[in-house]
Amino acid sequence: MTNKVSKTLALMLATGVVLGGCSNGGSGGGSSAGGDGNEINDLVIPKLATRELETFNILYSQRNEDFENLTNLVDGLLEHDSKGNLVPALATEWGTEDNGVTWTFKLRDGVKWVDMNQNEKADCVAQDFATGLEWVLNYHKNQSSNTSMPIDMIKGAEEYYEYTKSLPEAEAKALTAGEGSKFLEMVGIATPDDHTVVYTCRTAKPYFDTLATYASLYPMSQAMVDELGGADAVAAMNNENMWYNGCYTMTEYIQDNEKIFTKNDKYWDTESQRFDTVTFKMVESNDVAYQLFESGDVDYVDLTESNVKTISGDKNHKFHNYMVDALPLKFSFQFHWNYNKNKEDGKPDVNWNTAIANESFRKSLYYGLDLTNYLKRFNAIDPFKVENNYYTMKGLVSTSDGKDYVKLVHDKLKLGESDGNTPIRLDAAKGNEYKEKAMQELSAQGVTFPVGIDYYISAKSQTALDSANVLKNAIESSLGNDYVQLNIKTFVSSLSKEVATPRVASFIGSGWGADYGDPLNYLAQLIVDDDNAYYATHYENINDVQETPATKELIAQFKEYTALVEKADAITDDLDKRYDAFAEAEAYLIDHCLVLPTNYDMGYCLTKFNIHDKMQAPYGICNDKLKNIRSSADGYTVDDMKAILAE
Amino acid sequence: MFKYTVKRLLQSVVTVLTVVTIVFLLLRMLPTDYYFTEDQLMKFSEQQRTEQLEAAGLLDPVPEQLFRFYGQLIQGDLGESRRIQNGVPVTDVISKKFGISMQLGLISVAISLVVGVGMGVMQAKHKDRILDYTGTAYTVFVNAVPPLVSYSLILLFGSRILGLPSMYSSRNAGASSILPIVCLSLSSIAWYALWTRRYMIDELNKDYIKLARVKGMSNKEIMVKHVLRNAFVPLAQYLPASLLLTISGSLLAERFFSVPGMGPLMTDAISRYDTNIVQVLVILYAALGIIGVFLGDILMMIIDPRITLIDKEGGAR
Repeated sequence: MTNKVSKTLALMLATGVVLGGCSNGGSGGGSSAGGDGNEINDLVIPKLATRELETFNILYSQRNEDFENLTNLVDGLLEHDSKGNLVPALATEWGTEDNGVTWTFKLRDGVKWVDMNQNEKADCVAQDFATGLEWVLNYHKNQSSNTSMPIDMIKGAEEYYEYTKSLPEAEAKALTAGEGSKFLEMVGIATPDDHTVVYTCRTAKPYFDTLATYASLYPMSQAMVDELGGADAVAAMNNENMWYNGCYTMTEYIQDNEKIFTKNDKYWDTESQRFDTVTFKMVESNDVAYQLFESGDVDYVDLTESNVKTISGDKNHKFHNYMVDALPLKFSFQFHWNYNKNKEDGKPDVNWNTAIANESFRKSLYYGLDLTNYLKRFNAIDPFKVENNYYTMKGLVSTSDGKDYVKLVHDKLKLGESDGNTPIRLDAAKGNEYKEKAMQELSAQGVTFPVGIDYYISAKSQTALDSANVLKNAIESSLGNDYVQLNIKTFVSSLSKEVATPRVASFIGSGWGADYGDPLNYLAQLIVDDDNAYYATHYENINDVQETPATKELIAQFKEYTALVEKADAITDDLDKRYDAFAEAEAYLIDHCLVLPTNYDMGYCLTKFNIHDKMQAPYGICNDKLKNIRSSADGYTVDDMKAILAE
Repeated sequence: MFKYTVKRLLQSVVTVLTVVTIVFLLLRMLPTDYYFTEDQLMKFSEQQRTEQLEAAGLLDPVPEQLFRFYGQLIQGDLGESRRIQNGVPVTDVISKKFGISMQLGLISVAISLVVGVGMGVMQAKHKDRILDYTGTAYTVFVNAVPPLVSYSLILLFGSRILGLPSMYSSRNAGASSILPIVCLSLSSIAWYALWTRRYMIDELNKDYIKLARVKGMSNKEIMVKHVLRNAFVPLAQYLPASLLLTISGSLLAERFFSVPGMGPLMTDAISRYDTNIVQVLVILYAALGIIGVFLGDILMMIIDPRITLIDKEGGAR
């Protein structure tokens, strides 16, 4: 028997040896240090498997998951620096001489399109931006992706989109942006020479240049389209046949496993500091990523809540001094009230709809709701770092004297400063006052208490359930469960499809990230009688609220807010005045609690590259462009980061 | 045999068509909102969404869509992926993945067969002794502990103690495949050991074994020539299907070790409403399952000459 067991074990070992022998001896991962022994040459970053790339066509994508790859492969006109300023990329200078109707971008010389192996294919010139825009606006080529902003802003864009839609598919796909083309005839774009692109807007758009950081205005070479064999081939292109003008080329792409970006030696920004290679490793979860960081296989990890608690609670933990603030997501999160809610049987939820239309009810939540414990779900150590009191994301735009736009809103709302212990707007006495008033007014209208608040979370997420329970406790303990009661409900896979469309939630928590640099991008989502106002149309459903004595004031407030936004948007010759007018509208929105700002999302990480060197793009797609980033093979400590931020 | 084979083939075609039709209809019963990503829902106007659905033919009557789908199938046009890899033919998406899954799967099945059957034989031979208890404990452990826990333990042990790569890498495919293969083999080793032990013990208690002993056959001869051969017959039925279905990969193990195989593809395609991929995978898996069962029947017949494949009208099968 012993002999046979030994044989079996030997067989198992032999299998292992054979498998091991199949190895080519390559490294499984992990960074390699640079020449000075501390900088990293080959950076390895884990990415969650859910963030897999879906397309290589930057003009088609609308997903951040794609952009974090593609922004390293293709450059547009402008990008951001690490302070959030708009800086030159392919355009060296740009401007408008008529308050934003006509925008001229001067392109740099010597920008090359290259293939995966960095063989030169062509020069990247002005015509490529015309080809790119034609692609975006051609209904049959880009399937309506990324069209909304060009259509809103560029003269003739909507007409051309409709024109291509009316054509047979093959005919539309054969269109180009070449000389004498229908596109150049119809659309407000001109390329007087190889280094000049001129856009003409429908009306004055003083923020149009900020759109140049978004995918809609990226270039595409007609020669590449021809080489690949037409529109369908471009839609299906991959890392091996696409053309690059960005800081890296993707030399290996294995879906669901890894991508290797190799420094593009033909890149225009020769002075920029780049890694020799960057590898994105797809991982199943952040827990797996943490294990890989521990074993030195990756150079960055976003910490889970349990990681944060473990590391922060143990001063002797090997990562205790290395746990640093991650960069905040560029989203401003809000609770969007549903003013036209249905019950799950499809009938109107009259009790909720009447309650939420009442300003005192909303204000009781605004002042009385203590969100401290809820904020701890996003930042367990310093919850007030993620406290949000504005609708627009901070850092989006600034006035000429450098004042952040949200500070204007802050001042108009007469908010105090954070004491680091309680939320800024929390005022329990005022909340209670509004609660009493709301109960009186609503009781007279037949509302029964407690008012049920239906809140939907993903059935798959334990994290969402934990947060929902914290929120329930926060609401009911702040305001009393005789007044409101949070009912936690679940959806299976899609919030939009299962919750927003049937209108069954009392409110939806949502974050908006800007596509271009103007408060209008946020504020326009809540204006009335506009199908493109996403939140007003899909979450708050204000346009469908019937006017009754109970809703009259609410509808009037939304109309007033809309008028304020339109008034602000009409100011195009003075950005300071424009921002001030938008701040007025936003303050009105928040003061009447038509939406409830809640939080930002900013956790902790362990990192071996300086995350504060990354482009801080408040809008556009450049956040994850990995150039001019310092690194340290030893990792960055809390003190290192403090010193960096103090620079 | 020929008549039986033809009949089974025809039945198989009908079964695959039925499965595909049901899946096709189920997918079309989903609200059309699922066609769009959350982001597209945020950014597309109602009109743009309608236009997209029209262009994709999803607003056509369902029977029309179904017959169009059959027509494409006949022409060998399996369509393009919409979400997993936008615009790329489904066959390209799948072809890059199934080789990896199959490679890992086949090695795992081979290991499982050798180790699992060997373990079952040893357990049967030493029933109610320490070796048997150890094997049973392993089987219970593997079945009782959630796979993610056992995978984590293997990952920790393999990467920290043995220094093996913790993630699959095509640049180091041999070494980085070891941990995924071990994980893939865990439960199938237990399965083969459990059933081999059970069938062998059944056989050991039969009269012909007692007769063989009385006739003076050696224990080894009895175990190999009679017991194992007879005990393996019911296991053999599942072997072809196990081998063929290695193509489908393992959702958990592949996700856990970032193996770029077929495992997560079906769930990803369903959750992202990539209908063409779902439909092709359903056809593939249904066909493989049916072929696997058919080959299993033939293998049983080869191993056990008492089994013949004829129609019921022609006699018992």
